[in-house]
Amino acid sequence: MRGWLPRLLEPPVLFTAITLVLLASIWGITWNLANREQVAAQRTAAALTAELADTYEAQVVRALREIDGTLKLVRYALEDRSPPAVLRELRDHELLPYARLFTVSLVDAAGSVVATTDPDDSDPRALMQVLESARTTDAMVVSHPQGDRDGESLLDFSRRYADADGRFAGVVTVSVHAGYFVSSYEARVFGKRGVLGLLGTDGVFRALRSGDTLSSGLATDYAALVSDDADEGTAEVRLHGWDNTRRYSIARKLFEFPLAIVVGLAEAEQHAAAADLRRRYLRRAGAVSALLLAVMALLGGLSWRLQQARARAQDERIEHARRLEHLAFHDNLTDLPNRAHFSHLLIQGMQQARRYERKLALLFLDLDHFKVINDSLGHEAGDELLQEIGRRLHGSVRASDIVARLSGDEFVVLLPEIDTPDQVVPVAEKILAAVARPFTLAGQEISVTVSVGVTLFPDDGDDEQTLMKSADVAMYHAKEQGKNNFRFFSQALSTDSLERLTLEASLRNALERGEFRLCYQARRSMSDGRITGMEALVHWQHPELGLLPPCKFVPLAEELGLILALGRWALTSACRQNVAWQREGFPPLGMAVKLSERQFIDESLVKNMASALNDSGMDPQLLEVEITEGVVIRDIQQTIRTLTDLKRLGVRVAINDFGAGYSSLSNLQQYPIDMIRIHRSFIRDRGRNPDPSGLAAALIKLGRSLSLTVIAEVEPEAQADFLRTQLRDEFQGYYTHQPMSAEDFAQLMRQQLAAEDRPRTD
Amino acid sequence: MNWRVVATGCWLVLSVVAGAASADPVVVVSAQSPLSTLSRDELTDIYLGRLVRLPNRERIVPIDQVERSPEHDAFYTAYLGRSAAQIKAHWSKLIFTGRGQPPRALGSGEAVAEAVAANPNAIGYVDQAFVDERLRVLPIE
Repeated sequence: MRGWLPRLLEPPVLFTAITLVLLASIWGITWNLANREQVAAQRTAAALTAELADTYEAQVVRALREIDGTLKLVRYALEDRSPPAVLRELRDHELLPYARLFTVSLVDAAGSVVATTDPDDSDPRALMQVLESARTTDAMVVSHPQGDRDGESLLDFSRRYADADGRFAGVVTVSVHAGYFVSSYEARVFGKRGVLGLLGTDGVFRALRSGDTLSSGLATDYAALVSDDADEGTAEVRLHGWDNTRRYSIARKLFEFPLAIVVGLAEAEQHAAAADLRRRYLRRAGAVSALLLAVMALLGGLSWRLQQARARAQDERIEHARRLEHLAFHDNLTDLPNRAHFSHLLIQGMQQARRYERKLALLFLDLDHFKVINDSLGHEAGDELLQEIGRRLHGSVRASDIVARLSGDEFVVLLPEIDTPDQVVPVAEKILAAVARPFTLAGQEISVTVSVGVTLFPDDGDDEQTLMKSADVAMYHAKEQGKNNFRFFSQALSTDSLERLTLEASLRNALERGEFRLCYQARRSMSDGRITGMEALVHWQHPELGLLPPCKFVPLAEELGLILALGRWALTSACRQNVAWQREGFPPLGMAVKLSERQFIDESLVKNMASALNDSGMDPQLLEVEITEGVVIRDIQQTIRTLTDLKRLGVRVAINDFGAGYSSLSNLQQYPIDMIRIHRSFIRDRGRNPDPSGLAAALIKLGRSLSLTVIAEVEPEAQADFLRTQLRDEFQGYYTHQPMSAEDFAQLMRQQLAAEDRPRTD
Repeated sequence: MNWRVVATGCWLVLSVVAGAASADPVVVVSAQSPLSTLSRDELTDIYLGRLVRLPNRERIVPIDQVERSPEHDAFYTAYLGRSAAQIKAHWSKLIFTGRGQPPRALGSGEAVAEAVAANPNAIGYVDQAFVDERLRVLPIE
């Protein structure tokens, strides 16, 4: 029921069915009507034929009796009298039939006409045959048609008469035109091809009329035409051989005469009206059918088109829904399952693992320095990188393992079939190796690394949330341990990460709440011990944890994308402080500010720095920007551009901790920098090693050959002698103080100024 | 209306002229006959057996002449517009179907004149020569 009914209502089927039903009824009705007409016409024709036959029979019988009566009358009247006189007498008494149609003659035994009513009295017809045939019988004899002088056919009806002795004396004959017997033919009734005939039992037509054609003497098969059946009331359709016409016909033998009547109505004529009607019905039915087909074709076509359109729209909707569903569950960048889908998969995986008592490993991946890459190379390159990472991850695990991207640069890998933690190690290593392979992005070859946190179900958590959190914690620890490695989760990590989470939450609002402070590390010249400058360091006055050094929150701020705002704030504050101290009467003091990688590639760095200098009115020469080696190796052209812009502002640029990282010596001379600051370790080791000619000396020489000022932080006790003696003229060494607040720094400055004044006043 | 009167008048003049010219037989009735005039259609109907009573309920008896007489063909052609053969076929059918009897045919104009004079209901046609005071020539409109 549910299956075929809708299919029945589909336009092609429905319209075809309706059309067929309508066509069937049209043609059924037409056929029925035509058939009924046909049957009615047949019945009418048969009935008419029967009626006409009855009438004709009566007319013929009456006419024959009249003729026979005349014959008998003449014979009776003859006696022994003169035949002409008898005829005259009878005529005068109006006892003879209408003279113009009937001729009464008397012929003697020798064949001579002895009297006649024929005015011309000169009929040459041989009456011998009549004479002979009448001689032997007492009945009325009907002759074959005889041609008269006008060429018309005459019929002779004769009876013998006897003389007084009873001997054959001759015949009385009534001659009448054959046409007389068929004069009741009316075209109105019989049509053009009906038939009216008087047939002798010898098979010779005495008279036969069809339309306007009158004939006589035609021979036919009497037995075939006139049936012996007494009940001849019904007309049958017969083929009349003499004119090859099919007619409703009745042929009936007359009771007292050797004659039969033939009445026929042409079938074609009788059926003409019905046939006309039938043709008209058929034409109408044809026209209606054609119209119906046209209308149905039109409607069907329209409906079909409508349905097609509807089906297309539905297909599109389904396709759209499928796409939406896919989008809803897949990350559109990498086409990996997204967070929602992965959550579902993870729950499923946990259920499976629980059922089969297996373990399940969840690897939480976070790309190292992804934000830097994204910001320096552009989002498109970043996206490309993520896609490639997705492919690599997918390629480094089994098909049954699941790789998903949660957000940004966070991926997860789910290993559902794990029995021991050891099995995870090769997978994690494989992942690290796959990610670490160099990429070519935006025409540049770069490498990225990833930090992986591994957590196991059910060991490290038996629900989704716990598992994900422990993986996240493990990942952060991997990051803290120098990145590009993996770390299994342990309960100890969990405690650490709590602190981290607390920091993360409060760091977001720290800037608005004004919780950051600038602390200053005074730099004291190694040569004369005077304070020549300072380094500004940002500290966080955490409401619960107290004052936090930069190393505790700067990496976090970088990850959270807060570093730019924080850097801007630090720069502006440092500039203002510097100017404030100048105004207080302090001598010009250098102000060193560290720039992180992220800050250095920020496009608005130069603009921000210019406005900080302008707003505060600080002498750019006093500002010293320290960048790390990592910055300068990233994009050489871009780095050169930024450094040049900074130089144009008038600030001094130093490479910090030179020699600790990559030795990008080849690029060094291209960079418009002012100073290199040697890493502390070169100096510190030198103190324990009495050999002064070593790396430090080499670096100092290098700097000098590149016309760079070489500076170094020194520790007063350990290296003082060595440095003072060996290197004092060759680089600017300085001692540093612990970071201190602005007030403490100002106090220190005042003390120094006072100390300087004393000798002067002395 | 007017043209019909004129047309009828014209036809009358023409028929009189034609009658005079070809010596057609005239239609006669007894001097005692109530008939004063007959239309051509009425005359035709009377001679073809379709009209046997006049509007005044009087029976009317047409009298014919034998076929071989000269007046016969002239009468039927001039007054009824039919040939002898047509008349014969007409009566053949009527007799055969039993729906009428042809008028009695007399052998001479004289006999007709006698018969018409003797019967006030009779009507006949004779040559002008046979018209006497017992007869009245009936104008045929």
